[in-house]
Amino acid sequence: MRTHKLFENNSHTWLMFGRDEEKPNEIIDTNQYMVISNKNALLMDPGGIELFSAMLSVVIKQLPADKVTHLFASHQDPDIISSLGLWDQALPSATLHSPWIWESFIKHFGMNNISYSAIPDEGSSLKIDQVTLDFIPAHYLHSSGNFNVYDAEAKILMSGDIGAALECVDAPLFVDNFDEHISKMKMFHQRWMPSNRAKNDWISRVRKLNIEMMCPQHGRIFKGDDVKRFLDWFEALEVGIIAKST
Amino acid sequence: MSELSNNYFISAAEIAAKLDKTTRIAQQLSLTASNARAVALRAGERAAGFRPLTDFIDRLAEVTIKSSKNINKLAAALSQTSVDKERANSAISHFNAIFIKANDSKFIHSLDEVFERCQHKQKQLENSYKRQISYLSEELVMLSSELRNAVILATLSRVEASQAGEQYQSALTNVADNVEGAANKIREHIRYAQQMVSILEQH
Repeated sequence: MRTHKLFENNSHTWLMFGRDEEKPNEIIDTNQYMVISNKNALLMDPGGIELFSAMLSVVIKQLPADKVTHLFASHQDPDIISSLGLWDQALPSATLHSPWIWESFIKHFGMNNISYSAIPDEGSSLKIDQVTLDFIPAHYLHSSGNFNVYDAEAKILMSGDIGAALECVDAPLFVDNFDEHISKMKMFHQRWMPSNRAKNDWISRVRKLNIEMMCPQHGRIFKGDDVKRFLDWFEALEVGIIAKST
Repeated sequence: MSELSNNYFISAAEIAAKLDKTTRIAQQLSLTASNARAVALRAGERAAGFRPLTDFIDRLAEVTIKSSKNINKLAAALSQTSVDKERANSAISHFNAIFIKANDSKFIHSLDEVFERCQHKQKQLENSYKRQISYLSEELVMLSSELRNAVILATLSRVEASQAGEQYQSALTNVADNVEGAANKIREHIRYAQQMVSILEQH
């Protein structure tokens, strides 16, 4: 699994983990993100059970396991958090931040030690050491209880499934040609996202944020002008339909 | 008779499911006992020899229900422990993979404590698993020996039924058949469970 540093300053670092060449072919490739502050770390959408060994292996190259004091699951899907039962053994004192509506569902993955911090529908903030991270509502995009993570200082939005693209494991980390990239994400957004109203509401809120990098859970990261290009494209896209990819 | 599943935790669930049926059969035995008492009362003096047998059928039903409920509980607990054991084994194998994959990592030793905890948990579950199998085996042997009395009871019931006169003979013979039939069915389930348990003991 590859590790890529997205941002670093005096207070914290953003890392992206992904493009795992050893993962079984049948499972979708996922991007995991981690914010490391002075004494703590937040691991976002830590992935499925098949990914656990690879993920923990790359994490302990960066920091001691017990420094990962917070986990975040944007929603309840297995590719996001089915590894929870194993993280529960590895990080017994950690806190999992996740939508309130999924609490009793996510616990089915096995959670005897980790604490669940339920994020209310309107969102909330998490302060780890000197870093403030905002949980931005992204409901129905695609899950009915769903959040993004925004770091105003790093200007990074971890957008979960929004901006996700289905592509091969050796794909570049960043979008290099937006127009070409559309074909890799169009069907995913139309088929998985059920609500135009929820989509437009999210776009209007996200346009007000200062975003340098938009980091989805699958596919490539949008950087600079490509963030605005994505928002414009997404605004014009009709979702909640079954259509063939073009 | 079905083959033992490759996964021991599925086999434990299969044992629990199979033994669940014994409680229901034992409850039928209890109904048979009530029915026997009613027929014996109606038959009056002609079934005088049958009446004390109904107490034995009652006792057999009571012991069988109690024992099969206990066996069910033990089998369900064994099934749960098997799943927990499987999960603990899975966690250990994931950690082992990490120790191989990341053995040169700077912070590999930060996993020592949690790994030790997982090993301890695995050991505890292993001990519980063995203990529960042993309890279950003992209880199965006990119920099986209680059910041997059912054959004697059925034989005695048939003898007494033949003395009860034409009017009641078939009803009382039917009671004897039911006792024997229920006991045989339960013993069949027990034999199956004992076979499965003896294979589980090897895991």
